[in-house]
Amino acid sequence: MKGLAGLAPIASLVAVLAFAPVAHADVKALEEGAKKEGELTWYVAHYTSEGAEDLGRGFTEMYGVKVNVVRTTAQVAYQRLLQDLKNNQTICDVFSSTDVGHYVRLAAEGRFEKYVPETEGKILPTFRNFDPAGFYHTTSAGLVVLTYNSTKVKAEEAPKKWQDLLDIKWKGKVSTGHPGFSGYVGTWVLTMKNLYGWGYFDKLEKNKPQIGRSINDTVTALNAGERQVAAGADGSTLFSASRGNPLAVAYPTDGSVLIIAPSAIMKGTKHPNAARLFMEYLYSIEAAKINAKHFAIPLRPEVPSPPGAKPISEIKTIRPTVADIDKGIPEVIEQWRDTFGN
Amino acid sequence: MTIAAPAVATSDVSRRSISFDSTWLIWIAIMAVLLFLVVSPFIYLVVTSFTAEKTGAFTFANYAAAYGRARYVDALMNSLKLGGAAAALAGLFAIPLAWAVARTDMPGRGLTRMLVLATFITPPYTGAVAWILLAGPNAGWLNRFFMLVTGAEAGPFNIYSFPGLALVIALYSFPYIFIFTSAALELVSSEMEDAANILGAGAWRTMRRVTLPLALPAILGGLIICFLEAIALFGSPAMIAIPARFNVVTTQLFQFFGNPVRVEVAAAYAMPLLGVTILLILIQRLMTRRKGFVALTGKGGERRAIRLGPWRWAMFGYAMLVASLAVFLPYLFLIQAAFAKAWGRGFGLENISLRNFHFVLFEHATAAKSVLNSFLYAGVSATAVVILTLGVAYIVTRRLVPFGGILGFLCIAPFVIPGVVLAIGFYAAYAPPPLALYGTALILVLAFTTRFLPIGYVNASAAIRALNPEMEEAVRVLGGSRLTALRRVVAPLLKRSLLGAWLLIFIPATRELSAAIFLYGPNTKVASVMIFDMSEEGNFEYLAALALILQVLTLPLLWIGQKALGRDFMLRRNAT
Amino acid sequence: MSKLVLKNVARRYGTVEAVADFSLELVPGEFVSLLGPSGCGKTTTLRMIAGFVPPSAGTIEMDGRQISSPSSVVPPEKRRMSMIFQSYAIWPNMTVGENVGFGLQVRKLSRAEIDRKVDAILDVVQMRNLKGRYPAELSGGQQQRVALARAIVVEPEVLLLDEPLSNLDANLREEMRFEIRRLHDEFKITTVYVTHDQSEAMVTSDRIVVMNHGRIEQIDAPHKLYARPKSRFVAGFIGRTNFLEGTRQGSDVRFDGFSAAASRLEGSDGTALLYSLRPQAIGLSTQKPNGSSLAVEAEIAGRSYLGEYWDYQARPLGGTRSVRVSTGPGAVFEVGSRVWLEIDPAAMVRVE
Repeated sequence: MKGLAGLAPIASLVAVLAFAPVAHADVKALEEGAKKEGELTWYVAHYTSEGAEDLGRGFTEMYGVKVNVVRTTAQVAYQRLLQDLKNNQTICDVFSSTDVGHYVRLAAEGRFEKYVPETEGKILPTFRNFDPAGFYHTTSAGLVVLTYNSTKVKAEEAPKKWQDLLDIKWKGKVSTGHPGFSGYVGTWVLTMKNLYGWGYFDKLEKNKPQIGRSINDTVTALNAGERQVAAGADGSTLFSASRGNPLAVAYPTDGSVLIIAPSAIMKGTKHPNAARLFMEYLYSIEAAKINAKHFAIPLRPEVPSPPGAKPISEIKTIRPTVADIDKGIPEVIEQWRDTFGN
Repeated sequence: MTIAAPAVATSDVSRRSISFDSTWLIWIAIMAVLLFLVVSPFIYLVVTSFTAEKTGAFTFANYAAAYGRARYVDALMNSLKLGGAAAALAGLFAIPLAWAVARTDMPGRGLTRMLVLATFITPPYTGAVAWILLAGPNAGWLNRFFMLVTGAEAGPFNIYSFPGLALVIALYSFPYIFIFTSAALELVSSEMEDAANILGAGAWRTMRRVTLPLALPAILGGLIICFLEAIALFGSPAMIAIPARFNVVTTQLFQFFGNPVRVEVAAAYAMPLLGVTILLILIQRLMTRRKGFVALTGKGGERRAIRLGPWRWAMFGYAMLVASLAVFLPYLFLIQAAFAKAWGRGFGLENISLRNFHFVLFEHATAAKSVLNSFLYAGVSATAVVILTLGVAYIVTRRLVPFGGILGFLCIAPFVIPGVVLAIGFYAAYAPPPLALYGTALILVLAFTTRFLPIGYVNASAAIRALNPEMEEAVRVLGGSRLTALRRVVAPLLKRSLLGAWLLIFIPATRELSAAIFLYGPNTKVASVMIFDMSEEGNFEYLAALALILQVLTLPLLWIGQKALGRDFMLRRNAT
Repeated sequence: MSKLVLKNVARRYGTVEAVADFSLELVPGEFVSLLGPSGCGKTTTLRMIAGFVPPSAGTIEMDGRQISSPSSVVPPEKRRMSMIFQSYAIWPNMTVGENVGFGLQVRKLSRAEIDRKVDAILDVVQMRNLKGRYPAELSGGQQQRVALARAIVVEPEVLLLDEPLSNLDANLREEMRFEIRRLHDEFKITTVYVTHDQSEAMVTSDRIVVMNHGRIEQIDAPHKLYARPKSRFVAGFIGRTNFLEGTRQGSDVRFDGFSAAASRLEGSDGTALLYSLRPQAIGLSTQKPNGSSLAVEAEIAGRSYLGEYWDYQARPLGGTRSVRVSTGPGAVFEVGSRVWLEIDPAAMVRVE
């Protein structure tokens, strides 16, 4: 009995060490430096405006560092960044785009700072080690799925697979974003092209879809009743539904398009400590909770999926390769413009 | 008997030679400023269009790229067609109303003027948003009403179309034609009309053969301005043409600034806009040259209103129709959207919420700041323009320097440069090193200043010409310098006119989008760009809230303007 | 039968009476001027005749037909009158020929007829060779002629002119007022002419209506107006004059510096009397005149030489104030010298 009693203090020590938040020495130093720097500029396409603002606010509440949230669609963010670079200005500290191709190119030009967040080991294994070289890391994941207005469309009638959107009964009732703006839409278009050839879009054109810019345009189009079905993002759609809007999600049987979107620190950032701290923050439980609130996939296993969203393990997903995205998205943008006139 | 020479001779000569030098200095200083603001961006624009991106060598490749693709040429054609359609439609709205208000006994003339003013201060992109709410093909309120009333499956209105875009542009640029036409109709000397009357011409014949022809140059001027506005607009085409699936020059230019940034091709692509503008202005000059329409003196007796009889109510109905399209319906539904949780859900009490305002003002990191930015930059630009143009106008009108006409010309030249083109020129000239003004507030302020130089100059020179130079000469005879005369006589006399000019620049500057969209940086976003960005996610509730805030903040300025300058200060062409 | 009759015409703006109790009859072919200082109501009256302004009271009749009353006004386009405006109001968007032909077009004459008449009238005003010009290309005097041609070619019942010469320089003005009278004589149009310049009125008119503060002071032919003004205003407005205040004392009227027998003066009953005496009506000499006129000794107090005449101020020895005397250029008197004034009492006009 004496031996077991002797184990107790050790056990409790282990317990404390295992479950207490690790006050890492590095993070503390980052915090000090970040507070001195005072602010951070974040080009982000990952979330809705609200989601991005929420995350920024969370960071400010935790560390007292201001976040300049510049939320735009992915291509616009990239355009901004390229202009900054062309003029030798480093305005952006952390770059979060939904078009993986951006990262391939920017990393190749040496535009990023290598930084592997300490907390990377704590996120779900699927999302770890996106870039072996350590320049950019997954910070958000979402799906492009079939969405519809539940008061106008009954669940049985809703489209079940991607091909269903081409059905003539949806003529004038479809909504999408624009690949020339949104990384989500660009990736989705590329995936459809890979699955069904460009003929898919020639046929979709005949259904006269309403083309917005961001993929979140579909949410507002469905809410307004302007359109009835869409190729939308699960996160923003479910979040809007949770607010009482008549929206529903159908996970396509031929595969939801999984978007894995990374973030990276810009080389020569004026706020290196804040930027690093922010990357840590994006992997934190607090950030995961905010993500869950907005129906984005939380990256930490400790945080459960929000109610109403299917856990990712239960969904059939498809995803183009990084190389594919890099080369493919610029191509499909041009093809889209030719087919849809704009 | 000899006459003694005046004692002051020598010192007088030396003082004159000093002032001779300082005159040249002033000329050079102003010339330098105008070169920087007007000439340099223009030259950069032209040069850049011929420069190869990577090598910097001279090339025609940019023009080939800009016009090589059918889609790009289509965009140019679309712009021209859009300009024509919008101008024609705007004329249809404006000319009958202007005539009714200026020359007839239609009831509600004062009300109509006010409503035109309300239209004038509505930015075209706000109008576009409102019309999306009104005439979205499925959810638009007009369509819903139609479906309700007729039981039809779908409504006939689709804002996402070429006619839709032309309508929206026409609705928010018709005030230009209204202002020009009604001013001209009021300025046509009533003796001209009396002369026709007494010779036997009734009201209609007089209108046809005397009044309208005399007002024609002004009407033409208004139509041209509408056309130029339409082809240079960015916001409403971006919001409507993209879903409508056609391209115009401005949205295409935006793409050239996209991924990758091709300033050179953008410059080449923008040149035809410039060419069209210059051509139109030349045409207008030529058409009115020989006849010398300056006999607009607006003097003489009581002006007799044309009696319309029962037709006055038809005319009033037309005025209210136009006002409904431009003001009543759009603002009604903008307000509904601003206070709604989801605008599509209608007018029910459960749909009302202040959340949108709260989000825009307090939660969104940059929305509130963007409004401040708009007002700050507009204020600085307006001040710069007023001071600069006052100086130039004074120097030119009083003929203080030789070749003063060049200065005046440079002040007016930006008029022919569409806002987008100007912005691209500024981008090409000043964004990169050595000045590296990219993303700064300064480049925005400079672009705005240049853009509004013509308004400032026209106002200032009209005001100074109305001043009798003898008043300043009286000061100088009594020993004061020219500067003293300026300070103590000219400036106080021009106070009201300067204030009017300042407001006339400030108010449009707060809502300027076409130039800002190419020059803003993350820290220098202005409200117009913010509103445009918000339309990206289709977030019309937030958008409506922000747009309304911007409108409401403009009202006190209008009030000040009216108090200082009389009832319709913005509807006058010259704020003297 | 009168051509144009105004009966007690009045025009009020709020409480201001621009024209009050205006009555006038014109015979056909007559040339009448409305003369007075600015603000006297002459232009308002003209515009009432034209039909641009309705009268507040009174009526206007033409050829026996009522055309203006407070309740109904025949519109200007139906009156068959013509008007020439101060600014000429030549339409800049039409050529000279088109301007002049406008009224004929309204009357639906044939093209050929219009051309003929236009050419004829342009000949009369000597503007034929400028028929194709635009007004911006003409001088002020030429524009004036175009206005005249345009007004006359339609053979109006009444021709109205509103200070047409005030924008011209002095020489041109003299030439043009003869021209206007000449045209009137040639075409015999009933004419109403508004002016503030009395020499214009005198040269052109058959009768002059002198107006002041909206009321008629006097209507008379020019020479009568000059010689026998009825009121102080008229006497002072038309030409220069001396105002002599006199008091009746027994059979004499005493003035400042001299007196005259009451029987020789017109209207000499009453106590405080005012007379107007023209400077030209007083003789000036170094010798005492012997005749039936009054002889008053005076001293030259001041003089001005104007080329065409001398303007003397001569103070009667027994008086305090000087009278103005005009003489020809040859009659030179030094300041301070003694002279004799020759005054004919019959030339002294009693004024109110």
